[in-house]
Amino acid sequence: MEETLTLKELFQALKKRLWLIGLITVITAIVSAVLTFFVLTPMYDVKTQLLVNQTKSEQQIYNTTELQANVQLINTYNVIIKSPTVLDKVRKNLSLEKSTDELNKQISVTSAEESQIVEIVVEDKSPEMAAKIANETAKVFKAEVSKVMNVDNVNILSKAVVKENIKPVKPIPALNILIGIVIGLIISIATAFVLEFSDKSIKTEVDIEKYLDLPVMGTVANIEEIPASPSRSSRVSNQASSRVRGESIGS
Amino acid sequence: MARKKNQINDKALTVKRRLVAHTNPKLPVAEQYRTIRSNIQFSSLDEDIRSLVMTSSGPGEGKSTTAANLAIVYAQQGKKVLLVDADLRKPTAHFSFRLENHIGFTNVLTKKTKLLEAVYQTDIPNLSILTSGPIPPNPSELLASKNMDELLEIMYENFDFILFDTPPTLAVTDAQILSNKAEATLLVVSSGTTDRNAAQKAKELLTNAKARLLGVILNNRKIESKDYYYYYGNN
Repeated sequence: MEETLTLKELFQALKKRLWLIGLITVITAIVSAVLTFFVLTPMYDVKTQLLVNQTKSEQQIYNTTELQANVQLINTYNVIIKSPTVLDKVRKNLSLEKSTDELNKQISVTSAEESQIVEIVVEDKSPEMAAKIANETAKVFKAEVSKVMNVDNVNILSKAVVKENIKPVKPIPALNILIGIVIGLIISIATAFVLEFSDKSIKTEVDIEKYLDLPVMGTVANIEEIPASPSRSSRVSNQASSRVRGESIGS
Repeated sequence: MARKKNQINDKALTVKRRLVAHTNPKLPVAEQYRTIRSNIQFSSLDEDIRSLVMTSSGPGEGKSTTAANLAIVYAQQGKKVLLVDADLRKPTAHFSFRLENHIGFTNVLTKKTKLLEAVYQTDIPNLSILTSGPIPPNPSELLASKNMDELLEIMYENFDFILFDTPPTLAVTDAQILSNKAEATLLVVSSGTTDRNAAQKAKELLTNAKARLLGVILNNRKIESKDYYYYYGNN
C-alpha cells in the first residue's frame, strides 16, 4: 500500500514525542558534559618556533624564488620532524615511556603561510612535559637536519615555555556539549519517527476512512473517572440469592 | 506486546466500565452515544434497524461498554430495547448491570427457558437485558442453529431494538454468525490500540459473512482541547 506523508504528519509525529526528544537530548548533553569534565583528561599544548633560513653570505638580497624554495624546504622539514629518526631520539633522550607512534600523534608541525617559520606544537596532559618534548624535538631536529641534509639553516627562534595560567586545549566543554545535543537530537528524532511509523494502530477518524473505507458512525472519548452510581436491576423471575459468575455454571 | 496492552486495557475498562449514558446523561460522552444512535437511524432510509451486532477485531476494545450505553440511549428514546450478551465465552453484561447470570441467552437458545422469563427488566425504563447464561461448550454451533433464527423472530415480536454484544471477530466466529443473522453490524475500533491490519481483517470477515456493516465506532478517542464540541453545554 502506498503511503504518503505530509509535512504536517511529520511535525505531528515529532510534536507527540516532544518529551522523548527533549529527554534524550538532555541525557546526551549531560553525558557529554560529564565525560568532558570528569572523564577526559585535559590536554595542554605548548609550541616552539623554528626559523629556516639558508645562510649563504654572498646572497644578501632575498628574492621570491628563494623564499619559495625555503617554503618548499619547510614542507620537507615537516616530514623530517615527524619521522622516526627524530622522534626515536627524542624518546630516548627524554626516556619517555610511550611509543614513537604515540609521540607522533602528540606532535603537530605547522608553518605560517609563505613564511620561513616552522612551529612545533606538542600536546600533553602535562604542560611541562609538552614543553620538554617540544624543546627536545626542536633540538634533535636541528642536529639531525644538518646531518641528513648537510645544511645548517635551522635556528630555534623561541623555546617552548610553560606560561602561567595555561588553559587546556582539549576538551572544549562547549563544543562537546553541543556535539552531545546534536547527537541526542538525531537519535531522538530518529526514535520518534521509528516509533511513529512502527505504530500500526488506528487512531483517528481519518485512519478509519484510510484503512477500512467504512463510515465513522461515532466517536467515543476516553471514559475517565466518571463517578459511579449504583444501579441495581431486578429480575422479573428467578430471583437468586447468591452471586455467581456465569463461567462457573454449566462448565 | 499487543496482547499485554489489550489485557491492561481490558482490566482498565472493567474498572471504568460505567453506564455513562444512564448515570451521567449530560456528559459529552453520553452525548456521543446519542450521536451514534442518530447516525444508525439515519443510515437506514426505509425502515428502522431492529437488530444490531456490536463487535470488534480484538478483545478489550470497548464492545460491551459501547453496547450497554447504546442500548441505554435507545431506551431513553422510548424504544423497547433488548441488550443480549451474546459473548458466550467471556460474558460481561451482568457485571455492567450488576445482574445474576444463572439463566440467560444459552438457556433460551437451547429452549430450556422462554425468552421473557430469562430477560431482566432494568431500572432504566424500556431497557431489558438478556445475560449470557451458563457458558456452553459450543457457542458457535448454538448461534448458528435454527433455534437462533426462531429466537430472533420472538425477539422482534417483543422488542423494538435488539443489540447483540459479541466476542471479538478475529478470535472466534461467533460475531460473524450473528452479524449474518442481524440486520446491521457495527465495528468498534479502539483508538491507539486496534491494529489497522486487524481491523481490516475483521472487516473482511464480516463482509464475507454477508453482514451489513454500517460503520465503525471509534472508541477511546483522545479528545484534544481544541475540539470545542466536547465542552458544549458542559459548564
